[in-house]
Amino acid sequence: MPDEAAPPQSFADKHRKVLLGLLAVMIFLAAWQAAFLVFAFNPLFISKPDLIGRALVTLLQSGDLLRDLAVSAVPFVYGFSAAVVVGVPLGIVMGWRERVSYALDPIMTVFYASPLVALAPLVIVFFGVGVSGKAIIIFVLAVFPFIFNAQAGVRAVDPLLINVVRSMGGSEWDLYRKVIAPGVLPYIVAGARIAVGRGLIGILVGEFFAASEGIGYAIARFGDLFALDKMFACIFAIMVIAVVLTEGIRWAERSAFPWRIGQ
Amino acid sequence: MTDTRTLPADLSAGEFGAPGKSLWHRLEPTILGSAGIVILLLLWEVLPRIITMNAGTKLFFTTPSQIVGTLWRLFSTGAIWEPLGVSASGFVLGLGLAILVGLPLGVLIGRSRTLNAMLDPFVTAFNATPRLVFLPLVMLWFGLGLWTKVVIVFIGALFPILINTYEGVRNADRTLINVVRSFGASEWDVARLVVVPNAMPYIIAGLRLAIGRAVLGVVVAEFFGSESGLGVMMVQAAGRYQVDVVFSGLIVFAVLSLALTWMVQLLENRLGRWRPQRAGGE
Repeated sequence: MPDEAAPPQSFADKHRKVLLGLLAVMIFLAAWQAAFLVFAFNPLFISKPDLIGRALVTLLQSGDLLRDLAVSAVPFVYGFSAAVVVGVPLGIVMGWRERVSYALDPIMTVFYASPLVALAPLVIVFFGVGVSGKAIIIFVLAVFPFIFNAQAGVRAVDPLLINVVRSMGGSEWDLYRKVIAPGVLPYIVAGARIAVGRGLIGILVGEFFAASEGIGYAIARFGDLFALDKMFACIFAIMVIAVVLTEGIRWAERSAFPWRIGQ
Repeated sequence: MTDTRTLPADLSAGEFGAPGKSLWHRLEPTILGSAGIVILLLLWEVLPRIITMNAGTKLFFTTPSQIVGTLWRLFSTGAIWEPLGVSASGFVLGLGLAILVGLPLGVLIGRSRTLNAMLDPFVTAFNATPRLVFLPLVMLWFGLGLWTKVVIVFIGALFPILINTYEGVRNADRTLINVVRSFGASEWDVARLVVVPNAMPYIIAGLRLAIGRAVLGVVVAEFFGSESGLGVMMVQAAGRYQVDVVFSGLIVFAVLSLALTWMVQLLENRLGRWRPQRAGGE
């Protein structure tokens, strides 16, 4: 059972975790593959790891997968950038000025609590199936984590630090550079991690509704065609992207803001 | 967890201690907050009347008064109960299953390092992936109907509960565990007496996140893979340019999700009553 003696986390200990994880994934894949030695295999209903692997290679070689991903990436980048540009300043102002936050907090909470995805059909009908409609859906979903996290970040800044900088004759600029930015940035990056997930939902919603290309469209179409191996391959691609983005941001957090590791 | 957002209720603690606050001071947040909402609604109501839009654009706009009228009509005729019931059953079943699976599994991987290491890749991958990606697959397996919805809600709600339970279990006080064990407690006793009560605040925070995700799950599942429900009503209304109906549905979802979150908050306060005041964290 857990580490009563709390041994210093040795190298082998960390290794053990990775090895066990790999082992579990391998067991899972092997069991999936082997299950169809016992059960009848119906390619219209389920797929097998080897078929999925082959489909993935085919999609990669033909360039279809990369093209779909590139198509989906464009609205994602637009929507996400807009979310940062709008959300971060708004959140900082809300954190800094108490009255602004009193006035805006209830509205934001209501927006955040309501499933804004529900407006997607309207947005698509209004803006069409192109880049702008999807970008707007992504923006609407991704902006709130930035607002709330920037706000929380400003609030968490220690007033003592501000006073110290001021007493030592620091300028307003010093205040921002030395106290506020280092305090808020980790929160914003943490917000970005949540926003990435929501942005991916935005892409998929937009493309499931109406699209002629893109990764969400590809998944829906392969499903309609009962091409389950290709569908699984696309799902796998999305999983990899989601994990890389989320864990990448987590890694960046750890290396850029080491003082936050304990939290 | 990942959400660093604190609730407005905790924030007042950050103010400098101002003894004997005036009435205005105490009411200020409420007044300003209501004013913000009122101004937004007024702008929304008035702008479409001032600005002339062409007929095409006008189709996409509605006003708060129209939405209120539509809501009233939906409730007074009872037209909303049937789709609402369909959505609610998917929500309750999915969230219930997520709690049933997520809690024990979270305790297990919190208590066993080996299991944790083995399940970690799966939890990380599935938690990072938007579950919407599985929707076409789930639809293929479960068809258009209740179970597709339940599965999507379940996948979405499972991970906040699982991960928060795990975090809470990991944070259990070792001394307490050792004491209980020295008195001859079994692993089951340890879980029941120390680990789970200690993890309660985490679990409830997870539940709060899970509710949001479950509502979202109901909406998207109904958009694409259902024949009836509130989400279906909204998509159909969007197709017919009944913007007021779309917003009415949105408001019903929002109110439900706020009400549920609030109830969880109450539960949290009730269950946390014995706990000494925690030092302010994130």
